Amino acid sequence: MIWNYFLMAAGVSSASWILSAFIPKKDIIRNLLVLIGILSMAVYIGFLWTSLERPPLRTLGETRLWYSLFISIIGLITYFRWRYLWMLYYCLFMSLLFLFINYLHPENFSKTLMPALQSPWFVPHVVVYIISYAFLAASTLVAVYGLYQVKREKFEAKYMQVADNLVYLGFAFLTFGLLFGALWAKEAWGHYWTWDPKETWAFITWMGYLVYIHRRYQKPGKYVSALWILALAFVILLVCWFGVNYLPSAQFSVHTYSMQP
Amino acid sequence: MSKTTKPLWQNPWGYAESFLIAFGLLLIGFLLEFTIQSNSGTSIRYPMNLILGGVFLTLLLVFYGLLKKSKLYLFLSGIPASIGAISMLTLLVIIMGVTPQVPMQDKNLITKLSLNQLTTSWPFLFINFYLLVILAFVIIRKSFPFKWKNWGFVCSHLGLWITIFAAGLGSGDLMRLKMDLHENKTEWKAYDDKGNYYELPLAIKLNDFIVDEFNPKLAVVENETGKLYEPSKPSMIMIEKDLTAQLHNWSVTIGEFLPLSGRAGDKYHPLHDFGAAPAAKVSVSTNSAEALTGWISCGSFNRPHESLKLNDNYSLLMTVPEPKKFSSEVTIYTPDGKKEDKVLEVNKPQSVNGWKIYQLSYDEKMGKYSSLSVVEVVKDPWQIYVYIGIFMMMIGAIYMFWRGNKVTINSEQ
Repeated sequence: MIWNYFLMAAGVSSASWILSAFIPKKDIIRNLLVLIGILSMAVYIGFLWTSLERPPLRTLGETRLWYSLFISIIGLITYFRWRYLWMLYYCLFMSLLFLFINYLHPENFSKTLMPALQSPWFVPHVVVYIISYAFLAASTLVAVYGLYQVKREKFEAKYMQVADNLVYLGFAFLTFGLLFGALWAKEAWGHYWTWDPKETWAFITWMGYLVYIHRRYQKPGKYVSALWILALAFVILLVCWFGVNYLPSAQFSVHTYSMQP
Repeated sequence: MSKTTKPLWQNPWGYAESFLIAFGLLLIGFLLEFTIQSNSGTSIRYPMNLILGGVFLTLLLVFYGLLKKSKLYLFLSGIPASIGAISMLTLLVIIMGVTPQVPMQDKNLITKLSLNQLTTSWPFLFINFYLLVILAFVIIRKSFPFKWKNWGFVCSHLGLWITIFAAGLGSGDLMRLKMDLHENKTEWKAYDDKGNYYELPLAIKLNDFIVDEFNPKLAVVENETGKLYEPSKPSMIMIEKDLTAQLHNWSVTIGEFLPLSGRAGDKYHPLHDFGAAPAAKVSVSTNSAEALTGWISCGSFNRPHESLKLNDNYSLLMTVPEPKKFSSEVTIYTPDGKKEDKVLEVNKPQSVNGWKIYQLSYDEKMGKYSSLSVVEVVKDPWQIYVYIGIFMMMIGAIYMFWRGNKVTINSEQ
């Protein structure tokens, strides 16, 4: 049932989002279609939450659902704020991609949640990360687009302002993610920070964006190096998110729930 | 190209000098580590940490008072120095993120340079100390004279500084001990990792230890190896009353499910006994063969488990149930004669007399019949200062979210 409803919700979202790409001129209809896609994901996550009797935030597949929801919401908000249509489509494409990965790899929808994860910190910890990752992913696209425009010698300073804004918002959420994690760890195990591989990589990610912010603050005119730093920081973020499990350091991580039987 | 480059080490110092200094610190750190390995066991305790912290703060202020007009101060409180230090710390942490951070016995380059225990190595200490100095000067430079428009900046940076300072100095005073609680017994001694015992200013009596379990799951295993058979997912299905589920090629129906039972004769009966185990009556059918019916049980510490042989190669079995929740009902006594009843649970610690008590584990072989509850007791006198720092960083993050790119737009003007 959970799987069939997923197919239904993902189908509605995909159809409305893909359809919205074909009518870029009709503002209201397009926004409405995007909104329908978002609502369909939201309703499905709500359904999943109630039927699992726990927040659906445990497996990689479930996190992808949230990612899909938030990245499309943020895409719409960013569109309303900055009117970049390509950004909206990028976000919708990313959302679709995550739904598609879920479709290809159906996760085991098990009811089991280990006691250590049964904490009120769990949802905010993961949700702020997902919002943060969505902002930072969007900032990376601005960076790549900016580098492309630099090459074409059509770069405009306003791209930098969009990138800055997205990084600032993303970094604020990233900071919250780290701090929520630290407070949770203190509540659950009595220490804030254990340099668990996932924590280590989250910290590296944080430092990467810190370099970008400081570089921008000092030399606002030197945007090419800043754009490269931004693009590189996202590579680190991807290592933190997907890559950590494959590193030799990950054997002792507390963050690899999906590997447990 | 007629770009004029400044000779190295000529004022004002910039990125090149910043990276060289930070890299030099790492190099010296590693050389020191190679020659005299830092002892990971030693830590600075009260009152030594407080004195060192005070000396450090005084030196910072004296340096500022005497040299605030110097080029060195301007460099150390500037962004190139910050970026150099951040980058080198990042480099170190990337090494940490790639190599397993576990103690190793072998003598090779990795252990000689402590690449497997970087958090307690000289280079890590050096770069953190350097970062703390730079951060302190950055904060001082932004705070004097104080302008209200800088409050968000000062808040986030000072928060980070306090967090690193308090967590670093406080780590020596942190005590993390374990206590074994047995039902109906009072315990006041706790032990550390090395097996040293400590008497605590509190005693804990375990009144009851309760494990709440999920229902067990159905799984198919290979008869020869005992390995989980998983050609399709899900490979485990949680048992529920009247459940019919498809497990690989078999259709499994749960006829009866007894959460607590014992075997008598050819079937299981409900039983409320010490060691009573879950059991289920299952019917299994495939397209080709006729239905197979039998009892399965995961057993317990004093009862055998029972599986159902599906064919020569595979058997159906019940997994040992996973804990949903485990908690200890305790009475806590303190030297002033007070006693309090509390419940300890994972993620729900209790505070008594400056100690925090965490539910840690139990005797997993005994499962829900465990009469042993292991708790962790932690004393962290510096916690409040770390929390203040974290709280200030959170306010800084909200400020950042609110202002967005106005920060850079302003600095461009």
